Amino acid sequence: MSARGFFNDSMAVARNEYRQFIRNRSAILISLVVLPLFFTVSLGAGQGGAGTTFSPTAHIPIAWVDEDNTLASYRFWQSLSTSPDFRDLIQGYTEQGALAQLGTKRIYAVIVVPNGFQNDLDTGTQARIILYTDDSEPGVSDQIQATLTTYTQNFNPEVQVQPYETELQRQSVAGVAIVAKGATFAGFNIGLTTVLAIVQIFAGFYEIAGGISKEREDGTYARLLVSPISIGSIMLGKTLFDVVLTIIRTFTVLGISVYGYGARPNTDILTLLALSLIVSLITMGLGFVVASLKLGQRAVVIIEFFLILFLFAFSGLIIDSNLLVGVSQVISNLLPFSYAFDALKRTVLLGRPLPTLTFDLEYMIGSIVLLYAIAFVVLHFSRERLIT
Amino acid sequence: MPENAIVTEALTKNFGHFTAVDALDVSVPKGELFGLLGPNGAGKTTTVRMLCTLIEPTQGTANIVGYDIRERAAEVRRQIGVVSDGVSLYKDLTIEENLKLLATLYEIPRPKAEVRIRELMDMFAFREKATRLVGALSTGWAKKALICAALLHSPQVLFLDEVTSGLDPQSAIALQDFTKKQCEQGVTVIWTTHYMGEPEKICDRVGIMFAGRLVQVGTPNELKRRVSELSVVEVETPALSEAQLDKLKSRLKELAQVYHVKYADPRLEVSCERTDSLAEEVASALLRVGARIRAINTKDPTLEEAFIAFTGGEEEIDRFMESAGQKT
Repeated sequence: MSARGFFNDSMAVARNEYRQFIRNRSAILISLVVLPLFFTVSLGAGQGGAGTTFSPTAHIPIAWVDEDNTLASYRFWQSLSTSPDFRDLIQGYTEQGALAQLGTKRIYAVIVVPNGFQNDLDTGTQARIILYTDDSEPGVSDQIQATLTTYTQNFNPEVQVQPYETELQRQSVAGVAIVAKGATFAGFNIGLTTVLAIVQIFAGFYEIAGGISKEREDGTYARLLVSPISIGSIMLGKTLFDVVLTIIRTFTVLGISVYGYGARPNTDILTLLALSLIVSLITMGLGFVVASLKLGQRAVVIIEFFLILFLFAFSGLIIDSNLLVGVSQVISNLLPFSYAFDALKRTVLLGRPLPTLTFDLEYMIGSIVLLYAIAFVVLHFSRERLIT
Repeated sequence: MPENAIVTEALTKNFGHFTAVDALDVSVPKGELFGLLGPNGAGKTTTVRMLCTLIEPTQGTANIVGYDIRERAAEVRRQIGVVSDGVSLYKDLTIEENLKLLATLYEIPRPKAEVRIRELMDMFAFREKATRLVGALSTGWAKKALICAALLHSPQVLFLDEVTSGLDPQSAIALQDFTKKQCEQGVTVIWTTHYMGEPEKICDRVGIMFAGRLVQVGTPNELKRRVSELSVVEVETPALSEAQLDKLKSRLKELAQVYHVKYADPRLEVSCERTDSLAEEVASALLRVGARIRAINTKDPTLEEAFIAFTGGEEEIDRFMESAGQKT
């Protein structure tokens, strides 16, 4: 088959998808209205409720900058670094050097002990330490600040290593206040990163896996297979149509987020669109693979719910993937969706240009190619199984 | 000698340990209307699906208008039209939209496709229903829509698999006439059915399939001649009870090889091996079980009766149907 024939067939499939779609009110309602509205409104109502306060801090890399260089600052360092909560405190940074690393995922926070720390403690005035956090990881920031607060309240410069103080000792300690610094995001920026991805995953997966399942059950898939169309053309046609739906959904989510909930993404519309499409293409690739399993439409819906739960657990949607341990982290590192969520946070929250996220991009595009290749092969070899 | 449109050699399909089609050898000349006759589960649809390239044969080869179904599957698909239970049109599209989609897939140039679609819509009187969705059509019209779709690209070979099931008698007859006309125009048609009467009426040749094997091939008349050893005795005997019928069957078995006994008050039909005094013996058996006889005569077998004889008798068919049911 010529390239032109291949493309014509794909366009015919895409047109066919469109014709069926516009006659299916429930599909329009679910795909373009219910899913974007449901997720955006429900998360928006919580004003960035995608984050969570649960976040163990033990293995989070945090830069330690000691500008006081006194016994008190050393004791404070000692009390943190020997505690079970801050095992990855890194020394040797200057304040500027550490701040430059924030947002790169090498470090997630910077603790600065300023000049005069010991002096303030000696004179009975409230001493200060400065905490900078990577605000693109809201769970992590909150957790670091909360845990650090406990340690400042319990800090006794007279005690060498004192992670577990008595009530009496605690009362005798002079106060240390934390001055938290970091970028302040518009209320719904964090919610936007989650919604944008989840909506595309929810809709895209069902449109592909459920769509092929419906075609198989209706006998129209067999109709295509007895015609000269190739599996590749069928896949491309369905993908092209879903790309159009993805674009519509992206604008819907963005519109509600910006105008309804005051989201102010720190990136441009093209980046958002590109990331939406990448998430959607990964999902579609997965959808094609699942479609080869000869599942009914109901089974596809069940798998979809499991997929979403799985992603909530492992892909950094709720718990940052860097905080996961053992096998969980391995799973998270393998999931292309983890890189998509990460890229969304880096761009929407921190304003990093998409091309600078080289590894994330490479991994996601590689995953799309791999998933489509697997889907092509399995659909080709499942040909017989899918129509009998 | 006419050129063959379809040639199969030892074509076999296994599903696990179950052999659905067993070493099928058949040749169908161009322009022939070839009937595949057999009960459900005999292997007819599996044969059609292999020839349509929907499923791969386990063994053996098949050629459709010169193209090997494995090696030149895409070419085969361009040459065939298929109407089968599992091959449908998009219910959310109109017949015209369905045909336009298929026209693109078969690479029919747009002006030519438009002419052909109009031609088919006229042929099947679809003009008034052109804007109706396929899902809203009645069974008969939906079937016609499928036939339109199968004919769109003017295929050389047409597979009509159980195509009259669900159709009213008038539509079925109209479809049979239409199919004959297609064959006159050079299209080769494979007509599969489990209705015994159909192939006898319309097919040039009939292949009888049973348990995955092609047990006989010939014209309807040839097949009937081949069972010339078979006789059918028709008796008018009213109000025969179940008990009388059971006794009668066991008595008849003592007389000759009985293939089939059918009773619909008051008519009794007994198909069995021809013997010199068959009618007298059946009459005598009936009288012994206390039946009244109004009339009795012998006749030549129909294709249905021939089918039963070729497949080893009614009990053999029942056994097969039972095992096929368990396997499916």
